Amino acid sequence: MSEQAPVLDVQGLTTEFRVHGEWHAAVRGVSFQLARGETLAIVGESGCGKSITALSVMRLVPQGAGRIASGRVLLEGRDLVPLSEPEMEKVRGNRVSMIFQEPMTSLNPVLTVGFQVAESLHYHRGLGRAEARRTALALFDQVKIPSAARRFDDYPHQFSGGMRQRVMIAMALACNPAVLLADEPTTALDVTIQAQVLALLAEVREAYGMAMVFITHNLGVVASIADRVMVMYAGEVVETAPIDAVFARPTHPYTEALLRSIPRVDRNTTELQAIGGQVPAISNMPAGCRFADRCALVEPRCRVQSPPLTMLPDDPRHHVRCWVRGGETSVEALQ
Amino acid sequence: MIGFILKRLLVALPTLLAVLTIVFLFVRVAPGDPAMVILGDSASQEALEALRQQLGLNKPLWAQYVDFMLMVLSGDLGKSMLTSRPILQEVAEVLPYTVELTVASLTIGVVVGVPLGIVSAKQRNGWFDYFARVISLVGLSFPAFVSAVLMLLIFAIELRWFPVISSAALDDPEARLRALALPAFNLGLIMLAYVTRVTRSSMLGVMSEDYIRTARAKGVPGRMVVWRHALRNALIPVVTVVGLYLGVLIGNSVLTEIVFNRPGLGKLIVGALNQRDYTMLQGLMVIYAFIIVLCNLLTDMTYGLIDPRVKRQ
Ligand SMILES: Nc1ncnc2c1ncn2[C@@H]1O[C@H](COP(=O)(O)OP(=O)(O)OP(=O)(O)O)[C@@H](O)[C@H]1O
Ligand code: SF4
Ligand SMILES: [Mg+2]
Repeated sequence: MSEQAPVLDVQGLTTEFRVHGEWHAAVRGVSFQLARGETLAIVGESGCGKSITALSVMRLVPQGAGRIASGRVLLEGRDLVPLSEPEMEKVRGNRVSMIFQEPMTSLNPVLTVGFQVAESLHYHRGLGRAEARRTALALFDQVKIPSAARRFDDYPHQFSGGMRQRVMIAMALACNPAVLLADEPTTALDVTIQAQVLALLAEVREAYGMAMVFITHNLGVVASIADRVMVMYAGEVVETAPIDAVFARPTHPYTEALLRSIPRVDRNTTELQAIGGQVPAISNMPAGCRFADRCALVEPRCRVQSPPLTMLPDDPRHHVRCWVRGGETSVEALQ
Repeated sequence: MIGFILKRLLVALPTLLAVLTIVFLFVRVAPGDPAMVILGDSASQEALEALRQQLGLNKPLWAQYVDFMLMVLSGDLGKSMLTSRPILQEVAEVLPYTVELTVASLTIGVVVGVPLGIVSAKQRNGWFDYFARVISLVGLSFPAFVSAVLMLLIFAIELRWFPVISSAALDDPEARLRALALPAFNLGLIMLAYVTRVTRSSMLGVMSEDYIRTARAKGVPGRMVVWRHALRNALIPVVTVVGLYLGVLIGNSVLTEIVFNRPGLGKLIVGALNQRDYTMLQGLMVIYAFIIVLCNLLTDMTYGLIDPRVKRQ
């Protein structure tokens, strides 16, 4: 694998769920690349498909209810989609890890935090008990859990939300993965704790040289941590650009709305103040542009045909899915 | 853990006192004059008065209460009015039979029921799941004495695999085990039905918890996700059901003991009821109270073993 090849290359990912006996796409045709050491922020309102995108990469979409219908997920050059469950077990927590939003429920209440961190070292590295413990203790120090040695054998209920999220981070780091998927890791935390955990994530990402996908609905958080932003709406990518370009020149009407509604520190809200309405349900997607019902710029053609993801003429790294604001060249056609 | 047990014991004490008080009041306040009940309608006034004197029934209620409590606390339950033997001795003679029956059926229920529930949950709506659900439905819908009679008919009378009368030759270990088999299986089937159901539904609930997803995201193999991450959490409601059902089990053993003609607490209590052995009844109620409190204590201790959050409270 060459230096330039992306560590994670998601191509045309479509993930569906069964609603009333029919399959509907929750994520449709999503593509993105992640270079080594790069941080990509996925932004969008609740229900836009951010978590499902990450869970699809992990191959953790709930079985029976959901499925990856098409697309490829190349992790370090290997497609994960066709892998069997035992093969995936060797990849998860090893080459790609995930941190979840809810620190209060994401740790097993009947197992010690130390065990839960040491566990993946056992499965992926084959470490014995003592060695796994030593390595896990070092991880505890690294994520700055105070008096780590003493707290190693405590249970999750003895930890605060922020500390639990540190445990989750230690767990994700354990096997030095190439890619870390962080799904709203700070949303459930107090504002001051949020900043600490965010700083910690940035620090360990740097130290480990991992690539990171950072999911959030708060564009405000993104500025400090991400290199690139991918905005999702109703399961599709509507805009993707380097971080500066998003703030300097938000182009899709939805991105504009998101920017206008960046939550202030004292308000933790997921609603878009700037525009009314909500994300359509996956079983009730409009024909044409999925944002049309909430868009101030809507034109008749928007409701007829859905816009392709296009490249802005003056910035090939800035992609927008909009008839009015987009460019001429379709990105999908290029791929 | 020791501190936890001591604390639970302390909590159990007031419960026990309350139950003893209720037993006392129940026997005293229940309609009917015990002396009359014992001696019959035709007894003379003098005989009745003498018996009341002997039983302490003409003292004021509080004095009777103090007498009763002192007696129980000193570890004495009085004598049977019928046989004049100490009640504790009568109980001690049959208690092993009740305990072995309870423990055996409990073991059958848990050892078979928990794995059945787990596999059922793992293969939800598969053929095994349907099979297990039918079994547990059967176990739940047959009253204990109906299944007992059926089992006797099939396995003891038709097939002659097991003795019909269980109480014969009970000092021979092998015969005793054979005599235990049918009654234990009879009660165990009901236990199994409950345990399978609860394990299945609680396992299904646990498997969709966030921490299970976390375990899978770490790359924990599927088998270990079930046995190490899910099972212990899923067992918490199972312990509740087993604890609650222990009481029912002991109650059900009355019928089972009668159908299989086994010695035991159940038969003792039925005998006491038939003969209106009022001191015996009171004594047995105290014994049952102790047993139930003990069961609760064991249940709480099991929680403490399974769930680290319990110990802290
Ligand atoms: N098990 C499921 N069955 C049916 N639909 C589902 C299921 N899980 C997710 N969906 C649908 O998929 C869509 C995307 O969900 P997803 O969880 O990815 O949203 P999200 O962008 O992560 O939102 P949030 O900010 O609330 O986490 C939603 O519309 C949701 O209704
Ligand atoms: S395509 Fe039309 S409706 Fe959709 S975002 Fe652009 S302008 Fe709005
Ligand atoms: Mg989400």
